[in-house]
Amino acid sequence: MTMTKRQLLMKKYVSSIALVFGLLVGATSAMASEEGGLPSAGTNVNDQASLQRGAKLFFNYCVGCHSLKYVRYSRISEDLGLSEKEVMDNLNFTGDKFGDPVISHMPEASGRQFFGKAPPDLSLEVRAKGADWVYGYLNSFYLDPSRPVGWNNAVFANASMPNPLWELQGLQTAEMKADDKDAVEKLELSQPGKLTPAQFKQATRDLTSFLEYAAEPAALQRQRYGIWVLLFLAGFTLLAYTLKKEYWKDVH
Amino acid sequence: MANVFSSIGNWVNERAPNMMPAYRKHMTEYYAPKNFNLWYYFGSLAIVVLVNQIVTGIFLTMNFKPSAAEAFNSVEYIMRDVEWGWLIRYMHSTGASLFFVVVFLHMFRGLLYGSYHKPRELVWLLGMLIFLVLMAEAFMGYVLPWGNMSFWGAKVIISLFGTIPVIGNSLVEWIMGDFLPADATINRFFALHVIALPLVLLLLVVLHIAALHEVGSNNPDGVEIKKGPKGNRWDDHKPADGIPFHPYYTVKDLFGVGFFLTIAAFIIFFVPTFGGWFLEHDNFIPANNLVTPTHIKPSWYFTPFYAILRMIPSFFGTAFWGVLGMFGAIALLFVLPWIDKGKVRSVRYRGTGYKVALFALAFSFIGLALVGAGVVGEWVQEILTPMLPPLSNAAFWKDSPFWASSTFWENLVGRLLTAMYFGYFVFLWAYTRFGWEKTKPVPDRVVYDHD
Amino acid sequence: MANEVVDHGRRRFLTATTAVVGGVGVVAAVVPFIKSWEPSARAKAAGAPYTADISKIEAGQMVTFAWRSLPVFVVNRSKTQLDALPSQDGRLVDPKSDSGSAEQQPKYAQNEARSIKPEWLVLVGLCTHLGCVPDFVPVMKPEPFDPEWKGGFYCPCHKSRYDMAGRVYQGVPAPKNLLVPPHHFVDDTHIQIGVDPKEAG
Repeated sequence: MTMTKRQLLMKKYVSSIALVFGLLVGATSAMASEEGGLPSAGTNVNDQASLQRGAKLFFNYCVGCHSLKYVRYSRISEDLGLSEKEVMDNLNFTGDKFGDPVISHMPEASGRQFFGKAPPDLSLEVRAKGADWVYGYLNSFYLDPSRPVGWNNAVFANASMPNPLWELQGLQTAEMKADDKDAVEKLELSQPGKLTPAQFKQATRDLTSFLEYAAEPAALQRQRYGIWVLLFLAGFTLLAYTLKKEYWKDVH
Repeated sequence: MANVFSSIGNWVNERAPNMMPAYRKHMTEYYAPKNFNLWYYFGSLAIVVLVNQIVTGIFLTMNFKPSAAEAFNSVEYIMRDVEWGWLIRYMHSTGASLFFVVVFLHMFRGLLYGSYHKPRELVWLLGMLIFLVLMAEAFMGYVLPWGNMSFWGAKVIISLFGTIPVIGNSLVEWIMGDFLPADATINRFFALHVIALPLVLLLLVVLHIAALHEVGSNNPDGVEIKKGPKGNRWDDHKPADGIPFHPYYTVKDLFGVGFFLTIAAFIIFFVPTFGGWFLEHDNFIPANNLVTPTHIKPSWYFTPFYAILRMIPSFFGTAFWGVLGMFGAIALLFVLPWIDKGKVRSVRYRGTGYKVALFALAFSFIGLALVGAGVVGEWVQEILTPMLPPLSNAAFWKDSPFWASSTFWENLVGRLLTAMYFGYFVFLWAYTRFGWEKTKPVPDRVVYDHD
Repeated sequence: MANEVVDHGRRRFLTATTAVVGGVGVVAAVVPFIKSWEPSARAKAAGAPYTADISKIEAGQMVTFAWRSLPVFVVNRSKTQLDALPSQDGRLVDPKSDSGSAEQQPKYAQNEARSIKPEWLVLVGLCTHLGCVPDFVPVMKPEPFDPEWKGGFYCPCHKSRYDMAGRVYQGVPAPKNLLVPPHHFVDDTHIQIGVDPKEAG
């Protein structure tokens, strides 16, 4: 008799634990999918090959204007599985030291002169805007002669930045909505680039992955350690529960 | 070995004869009712979080720079360059939010089982003071990373004091030490956050527990075990329904702590920003005094009160009423022991009116939290649009601005919920004052169905 | 209540197990906090090996470089200065750097001149007494602090004296020879401070 009652109680605890975790996971996934209307970036910071390709793109196409002032070359080497020599030869074109942070060598004044404002630091861009936004932004440049630099962006209207990847993507033009001349209906590839549309999507996904990593390098560590911490705590909780049951035999 | 310990024990006892009795009074001879349920975990969990905040906070101060120029950089330095700094920071930021989760549940327990009734008014008042200091502590801590939400959150919250008639404007400048939140502001908030308020908080927690142990714990039945029969297996003169806090509740709380830490670790290691609720996206942008974030809202734990502030419009040329409403919402909780003149404590034996009202209060609180977070207006609009086909017509939508605006729905829902929140206190007073409540008979002893 | 049986053995076992597992958890949780005091990535980057250009240092001259924020003396010793070194042995505490000062230089610098190439002396410029920065006094002439001065380092704080190889004289407060940091020659005109020759490959 007592066993069944205890089993019932155990069942109650287990189901409440499951409920709490279910709510947590449900809440987080609901919040994650809340970024209005943007296609999912599909990034994965644990895919080292993708991060390496993304880093290569960043250092070839972005670092001319944008810094990652909170990220050190040495940290990139450590986390992306690249040797010091590989980082210094393939990624570092500024002559900065291995332990230095990634600083663009474009003077701020010329940035203001070319684009109206200095290009922002991108260390925390993904944490501030979200990976989907960055991925969408990179895919949504189109030609717009009315803009000072000749480019506009469907995700971030009137952005002052030209498409740095146009050689890869090709040129896009926009078809505006019938009832709203300022809103983009859809984008069309009017002149193909070096990459096919699918290849370009993968390239921007890699680049977004790298920026996501740059926004929080600790993400790699915390997920690695987290699983062990959870297992340990779950074990401890079970042990504490057994201990509690043992003592509470006294209470009638 | 045992000899060494006992001789050290004797040495201490000779010099501090009241120390062991004090330990016994609060642990092995503190008789707590045996029928505590799930709701009774949150007090000890609040202590666990407090300790976590103090320890991680001390280690954060070792690398944090309390200046407008360096604060943001120093937080990223902690997150990236300091060994394990990210863990210490996430433990602190997650702990802050979980502190409020635990404290809200702990307070709701008090409402459920009438723990504020005589003779526990002092326990309740000290608890409310803790809540008030905790809100100040959390707000100032939120400002320290000096992101754009920190900056504008500080600006908005400090501006609340500007609505106070006559002295408002000079008070705002005095609090900031400048004309906008600035270096002086972050520096003084740092001082208050890391030393002044924690000291007050610790003192209040000690008093809160001391006051509780004077009168003894309430329980889910609201029965006073001290007035019941005497004699249990540990002591012939102690309440029959009481059990020693140690070891019975220490082992029980240990299990609660283990479970709680598992959830906390899941958040810390896998979703530290909690989808932008625990660490907000816009706070990863450095403070910018020229650009306000598009979705400016306070941290989630302030949103219910913030919603009340927003829902009360300004009239007679001043916005003071909203501020009054917001602080009134907290002040009413302070005086709850005198508003509620009910004869029984626990919701188990109270009238149906009380049960409905308490549910309405909880509903309005959660609802106001969502309103304050700015998600309700769009939800209502999304739900209503397909239900009312003529309204979903785009042209009609545009021509009728008040139907079409999510602000309209937000205000409508928010004001109803605000009325519901304050209505609880009015209803409770009338319900108990005029004897409308029909209570159920309270048992003589606590109900405990053991296995 | 009368017929209950408490299994004290099981109770003690569970208490001990929970205490041990909990203790392991606490210790594991303390580790990150202790580790957070280690030099950060920034400190490590700032303390990275330093490559010094020595092409402009004339014979008999000294230039100070910063490595890990420490002053590092690089001296280009002249023939006369080198020749005077053996004559000082009788007045020094540990002329061969093999007793008290055995740890004060890497193996490859444990010789009379305390250097890789005889003329190039590389020292951490902190007195082994209480850490002041000694003065470089290269000229061989009678000094108020030593009438038989053959050039070397003189600490203004407590009057410790070292010869042209950073070896400490007898009868002064400093106990040991000046520290030679790990270093190697990248080429004829560059020294990298902070890396041993074999690490550099």
